[in-house]
Amino acid sequence: MTNAIETKGLTKRFGKTVAVKELSLSVPVGSIFAFLGPNGAGKTTTIKTLMNIMMPTEGSSEVLGVDSAKLGCEQFGQIGYVSENQEMPEWMSVERFLNYCKEMYPTWDDKFCDDLIKQFNLPMKQKIKSLSRGMKMKAALISSLAYRPKLLIFDEPFSGLDPLVRDEFISGMLDITEDENWTIFISSHDIDEVERLADWVGIIDKGVLKVVEKTEDLGKRFRRVEVTLDEAAEGDIAYPKEWYLPERQGRTIHFVDSQYEEGDGKIREIFPNCTNIEMSGMSLREIFVVFAKKFMITEL
Amino acid sequence: MINFTIKFQYGSPIYEQIVYAVKKAIATGQLKAGDKFPSVREMSKDLRINPNTAGKVVGHLVREGMLEVRPGIGSVVSQLSPASKDQRNKILNDQVEELIVESKRLSISKEDVINAIDSNWSLKERKGK
Repeated sequence: MTNAIETKGLTKRFGKTVAVKELSLSVPVGSIFAFLGPNGAGKTTTIKTLMNIMMPTEGSSEVLGVDSAKLGCEQFGQIGYVSENQEMPEWMSVERFLNYCKEMYPTWDDKFCDDLIKQFNLPMKQKIKSLSRGMKMKAALISSLAYRPKLLIFDEPFSGLDPLVRDEFISGMLDITEDENWTIFISSHDIDEVERLADWVGIIDKGVLKVVEKTEDLGKRFRRVEVTLDEAAEGDIAYPKEWYLPERQGRTIHFVDSQYEEGDGKIREIFPNCTNIEMSGMSLREIFVVFAKKFMITEL
Repeated sequence: MINFTIKFQYGSPIYEQIVYAVKKAIATGQLKAGDKFPSVREMSKDLRINPNTAGKVVGHLVREGMLEVRPGIGSVVSQLSPASKDQRNKILNDQVEELIVESKRLSISKEDVINAIDSNWSLKERKGK
């Protein structure tokens, strides 16, 4: 098994609404995959289909080498799943809740669980309903980490958490990478949090997967470019199609090069009389925004 | 705790940025022979980077002879070894040539380049030893 998750033409319709459309992606074992997209893009629907909470309308998916529709105890014992709207037994104390979870997982690691409880400063005697949102998410995380799952699936884990808790959350999540054959799949619209963590990025918009790429490659090929010309350019400029969102203001031209390679030869070819070229690398957030703007334009 | 200075920039691979930061830390004396180097886990957690990337960094630095693995301790910074002929050539020919070509293209004078090398060199020397 080389992929922890693999979907083929996964489609989910609710009546006439297409929530996820022909989604095909692979998440290699040993990777952190960031599944990004705006709210309502289809991230949660995709995850629920992966986890056999929903049936796909068309297509299929495999998780840990097993068809999602056939996932059972054996697989769920190796998957840690935390979602933004995690349902929890509110009336239980944290201690009772964790003991209750422990019964379900043969691979539960008491020492690891205790370490996490200490690391997270979780109040064991308190009832879950009286916990803050951050504490509740931490309890949910521990209950999904303590049995050392091979695959972690997080659906918007950071939303509503303060920066300190996010930090602790990520730290706890990384603990699992001590084991062999771990894989982490995170859906999020908080791009900054996963910038340097994710080695793969998938961007979904309106149910359609627009980009799946190694984060490193994406960062390498995107550059924000500013070209200063000798004279204000007259007439239309034939921009190559890989230059996104070109804008012209007098002698200055801005665009995003989506196929950057070392050097500025291509730019000098198109603007032989430019006086200055500034190029800067872009954060994942900036790249994401560029895609979002471009999708809007192409859809008009 | 990460005992070398690293400030990430967008657009170039994190792995390359860290390797460079470590080389620089050794050159300036921020890291000295025998210093303990952070483990893959520490680097991953402190820098919020993918553990695979952290592993790749350590692997590379060990292969290049900048770190050595001591059982029970982890990896430590190695004693600086004199540069091989290949390494010398790479800097004295290739990288100097690149610098000259770029400087000429931007009409920077030879004097300015030499002055810049001088001041940067002494900056690194003062911090070392």
